[in-house]
Amino acid sequence: MITLIRAIGQFGLFFGSLVGAMLRYGVPLRRITEESYRIGIQSLPVLLTINIFIGSILTIQGYISFGPLGARHLIGMFVALAGVREAAPLLAATMIAAKAGTEMASQIAVMNTREQIDALEVMAVNPYAFLVGPRLLGILLVMPALTTLAILTTVASGWAVATFQLGLDGQQFLALVAQTVTGRDLLISECKALGFGTLICLVSTWCGFRAPRGPEGVGQATNAAVVISSILCVSLNFLITQVFYG
Amino acid sequence: MADPFNGPPVELINVEKRFGSLTVLNNVSLQIPPGQTTAIIGPSGTGKSVLLKHIVGLIAPDAGEVRVFGTDMGRASEAERYRVRKRLGMLFQDGALFDSMPVGENIEFPLLQHRRDMTAAQRRDRVAEVLQMVELPGIEQRAVASLSGGQRKRVGLARAIVHSPEMVLFDEPNSGLDPMTSDAIDQLIGHLKQTLGITFIVITHDIVSTVQIADRVAMLYQGKLVAWGTVQEVVRSENEVVRRFFARNVQVEGEGWRLPGV
Amino acid sequence: MTTPLLQPGLNLLARLGAFGIFSGQLIWRTFTPPWNIREVSRQILRVSLRCTGPVLSTTFPFGMVITLQGLQIFDLFGAQRMLPSLITTAVVREISPLLASVLIAAQGGSSYAAELGAMRIKEELDATEVMAVDGLRWHVLPRVLALIVACPALQILGATAGIAGGYVMAVWLQGEPSGTFIANLWNFTSPLDLAAGVVKTTVFGGLIGLIACYHGFYATGGAAGVGRAVNDTVVHSVLTVFVCNYLLSSMFI
Repeated sequence: MITLIRAIGQFGLFFGSLVGAMLRYGVPLRRITEESYRIGIQSLPVLLTINIFIGSILTIQGYISFGPLGARHLIGMFVALAGVREAAPLLAATMIAAKAGTEMASQIAVMNTREQIDALEVMAVNPYAFLVGPRLLGILLVMPALTTLAILTTVASGWAVATFQLGLDGQQFLALVAQTVTGRDLLISECKALGFGTLICLVSTWCGFRAPRGPEGVGQATNAAVVISSILCVSLNFLITQVFYG
Repeated sequence: MADPFNGPPVELINVEKRFGSLTVLNNVSLQIPPGQTTAIIGPSGTGKSVLLKHIVGLIAPDAGEVRVFGTDMGRASEAERYRVRKRLGMLFQDGALFDSMPVGENIEFPLLQHRRDMTAAQRRDRVAEVLQMVELPGIEQRAVASLSGGQRKRVGLARAIVHSPEMVLFDEPNSGLDPMTSDAIDQLIGHLKQTLGITFIVITHDIVSTVQIADRVAMLYQGKLVAWGTVQEVVRSENEVVRRFFARNVQVEGEGWRLPGV
Repeated sequence: MTTPLLQPGLNLLARLGAFGIFSGQLIWRTFTPPWNIREVSRQILRVSLRCTGPVLSTTFPFGMVITLQGLQIFDLFGAQRMLPSLITTAVVREISPLLASVLIAAQGGSSYAAELGAMRIKEELDATEVMAVDGLRWHVLPRVLALIVACPALQILGATAGIAGGYVMAVWLQGEPSGTFIANLWNFTSPLDLAAGVVKTTVFGGLIGLIACYHGFYATGGAAGVGRAVNDTVVHSVLTVFVCNYLLSSMFI
């Protein structure tokens, strides 16, 4: 418990010095685009794969669950609500944490192990501004696009499963999705995405910085990064859902 | 450029540092003379690296002052510390080169960060020049991963001197190198000392390289400064620990001393 | 002679082959003595303790979220009393197996990869072999077996937490009657559903264990290699879990 409180305090300090450093030293524009390109390209394949399966599993479960209600044709609505509002953005974030977040944590932990963070300090370059700043702005830049793609993939694969595997009316499925999802839903999902992106980047880089030196430290940092950011993303998702849909 | 600083570039005043119950530095006072090469020696685990980290301001002392170019590094603000650091260079044990950049960009890095006045062409020329100085010309495009241990140190050294610092710190420049490469690094340091004429501080436990490159020697043992003076004075020290430390490699003969086999 | 286009495909095949051999060696050791019961039980305890927190702290809020969204659908039909049974179905059949497995991959799997990777880099695994101790049997097999046991157990725990989350949301926060919620909880859920969840997570546990230990056991390239092993473990095992989940769920339609 005390360790938890201390960790939260340290995270707060980290966040404070990060914001201070970013304001004081600025963030090089070129590195932001580099990072966002890297994060985007890296995460895209896994993200799309996962969302294909989310769409199909939601459709199959909807089919099973709505069977007793005699409302099989309504699964479009189920996919829209569960997929677009919740599952697609959240699992997309989990995959980004697994792919890009772990990489941030391990890169920074490796740099720390090899004294490269010390070297930055000695060369009078602020490590937070130089290493975290571009990653934070980069992930914020790509999160909305990645989430939009995740949502589209989920709906598309739901449609494909409904039409080809379950033999339902695909037109009706899409019409129901379009009818159910409002602009507000999409906007909230994008807001969630920005929140998830911030959490993933801050938690992962923080885990990287505080890792003990050596191979175990790198492993621990990477491990902690994905677990902590997944848990925080699920919690944040609950908070946002509760505030906007509750 | 900051005003030239005339006093000792590094001044330690009663520096103390503890990690938990372990006293790593115990009341260390030392004035490093300008324009000379000072070796800080001692067996492993006696606080040499900790001392170096105090000088560059990565660690703050528990008590005492670490003054670098007159600035108290332990109490200075981040901006003040950065101002001091821009005037020094440091060679890390394994080079601490960034794996994500090729050799050229690694060396260019300090210029890119701090010398807004230089054009890309000027920076490129300066990188080529320092690579020439460390005897590795034309390897700007090589990946860091493809470098050998000795090459890593040379590139790290090139990065440490690229911005024309007033002082260069070396953390174990000979560690992990075979005797031949180690000798070559010593010669390079000796050569740079003559051409640059700036203050060098070398952390090492290698006696042979100490007596070859150093003007002055400070010896740390269990967190205490046990010897301080010219090489000549220190090898002839009466202190038992110092004698034992040198005995394997240095033979004292009458008024002088020699390295067996050198 | 291979074209550049073919090369990635061949690499993938080679790696799948290596993974197959690795798994085969472990399966062989599972059924031949000597067995390391003590080490297996130690690993079960360790991985369960490590993963309980993450699994509970994700399934509980997710149960709440699903309930909140579900209430909105059922309000349209005036069929709120259907809700608890659907929550149970969704949580037991899909959400808790998937979410628990993802978190077990992230926490348990990646810690395996980190431990074994660090042991490989520090030459501890080589030292084990030099001392004529079978590294696969001693270090790897107990970890994989532990996940096969722990994964279904954690899933049941996660399912309970998810349903509890649903209850908290529906009854405490949204004011649905508690009696109706409890009464309708198990309407659509058959023992088959529970069994399906357990079967799924047993398979997932084994796959996560194998993938994690494979990446950790064959880590190369210093400290960065450990990071890469952990990264690959999480991504590959989550992908595998989702693909398998789809295949297994399709079988139960």
